[in-house]
Amino acid sequence: MTSPYPDAAGPVAGAGRHAGEDLLASYAAGMVGPAAAWSVEAHLTGCASCRSALSAQVDADRLARNRSALLVRAAIGDGGRVRRLLCRCGVPDHLLRLLAATPSLRRSWLLSIVGVLAAVAGEAAAVRHGWIPGGRHVGPAGYQDAAAVAPFLLVAPLLVLAGVAAAFLPRFDPAYQLAAAAPFSGFTLLLVRAVCALAGALVPVAGAAFALPGPGWLPVALLLPSLALCGFALAAATVMDPRAAAVTAGVLWALPAMLLAVDHVPLAIVQRNAQSACAAVIIASAVVLLVRRDRFELGWMR
Amino acid sequence: MDEMTVNVRTAAVRADGLSRRYGATRALDEVDLTLQRGITGLLGPNGAGKTTLLSILATVGEPDAGRVSVFGLDPRDTAERVEIRRRLGYLPQELGYHRHFTVARFLDYVAILKEITDRRARAQEVARVLAAIGLEDRARTRIRSLSGGMRQRLGIAQALLGHPDLLILDEPTAGLDPEQRLRFRELLSGLPGDPVIVLSTHQADDIAAICPQVVVLLQGRVHFAGTPSELAATAAGRVWAADQRDTRAHLSWRGGDGRWRHIGDQPPAGAEPVTPTVEDGYLMLSHAAGAR
Repeated sequence: MTSPYPDAAGPVAGAGRHAGEDLLASYAAGMVGPAAAWSVEAHLTGCASCRSALSAQVDADRLARNRSALLVRAAIGDGGRVRRLLCRCGVPDHLLRLLAATPSLRRSWLLSIVGVLAAVAGEAAAVRHGWIPGGRHVGPAGYQDAAAVAPFLLVAPLLVLAGVAAAFLPRFDPAYQLAAAAPFSGFTLLLVRAVCALAGALVPVAGAAFALPGPGWLPVALLLPSLALCGFALAAATVMDPRAAAVTAGVLWALPAMLLAVDHVPLAIVQRNAQSACAAVIIASAVVLLVRRDRFELGWMR
Repeated sequence: MDEMTVNVRTAAVRADGLSRRYGATRALDEVDLTLQRGITGLLGPNGAGKTTLLSILATVGEPDAGRVSVFGLDPRDTAERVEIRRRLGYLPQELGYHRHFTVARFLDYVAILKEITDRRARAQEVARVLAAIGLEDRARTRIRSLSGGMRQRLGIAQALLGHPDLLILDEPTAGLDPEQRLRFRELLSGLPGDPVIVLSTHQADDIAAICPQVVVLLQGRVHFAGTPSELAATAAGRVWAADQRDTRAHLSWRGGDGRWRHIGDQPPAGAEPVTPTVEDGYLMLSHAAGAR
């Protein structure tokens, strides 16, 4: 059976107008398209006359079900401004609702990242201005105060990794068993969450990098290492325990970062050779993820 | 090992030689099982392997050895596993939820995971399951402020989303008061479409009340599969009531009427035989398995 109002631009769109009897009958029978249904429902909320007319068209059970569904929709809500904006930009509503359950997108998590970055950046600034003792040093690349940014270079990509790890580690998702038993693609869920966590953590990292005494290209130079760390952790999680994968990625970053800091060349970890290595890691990780994505469709809790 | 078969009339779910270890602990030991449509109760003590078995049937866990077939589909195949999940409702033993979620938002989240992506359809489905378990007036309540029994009902509600054809419920009656348990039994018995329902429980009276089939799992092995009356019959002639405790009995406990109920091979002095219950049959099997 086809709908007489498959996609109405607004059969009751005009202010002061009422829904026609045939439209209400179609709505009551569940035969109108989504747009028309929305229009009718929006009108019904403010029109007692049409609500009364509708009640004559439907049986009490159907009316009760529709009322319950409306109450549930009201209880769920349409989200905040950011969600509405993203919806307008074409991001599917259901994906945005899934993101609402991503731990590393919670305010407390992001605040902790900002807090740690602020502390590290503050320390670097204090060293630069001589407020606290620190190695004042001209690095081989010619950047004064390179030693002051060493703690930031060590910590920043690790914070991004922590955000992404929280997006995919089962221990941070209390409902992971329900997600694992559901038909929704675990790989898609993982990617959506990881990308959002990555973006969420990169913003404060890049912001802090601008405030540091290092070279002007530092905020951009942190992107590839951060991506490489997260990509490596995700790819490694397809062949080993996810926690071990995240820790391994962190160690693989922290070790060379610390060794280069000890050698008084901390910026080398984000310079040309390191960038090339990070790009290679990203490509290799993407290939592994694609080939082994099925691993995320299993429970992958073992 | 002979296959323990509940009923071979229609094998909706089949497990062959399922084994699973956690370190040195053997959770499942070559479990063979065939389940038909209708309600099957899985009875066993803590640590018997019930949760492991149910998680494997729900495609969340993986066996070390053995095979599972659900509606003829093999969960080892990606596409078939997704198809099983489309027909599945699963209540894990511990229902995880995000602390900031309200009841409605939690169900909305699970509905999306079940691929109900249309907002209107989701709202209708959420409203349906909320009405089914009597939590309509709690849609805006945060989950963390619900009582234990209400959370359990919410867990059952999420499992019912999408009209599942296979419902796997791990201890669904835990935390429910007697009236809620009655409502739960009524709800399961009235589900349309004759789905396959597997529920684990410690409550033998739940099994007797609503399960036409029962499986007893002890130490990772299936020790019984049949009807509740057949389970009760395994203790026939071995259950006695007496005024005094008998130390020779395998198991003794004092009933609500003040008399002692004994399960054993020999009748105590002055005892009279009584008709065994499902619980008597289960305790008899449990004792026999422990004595081995």
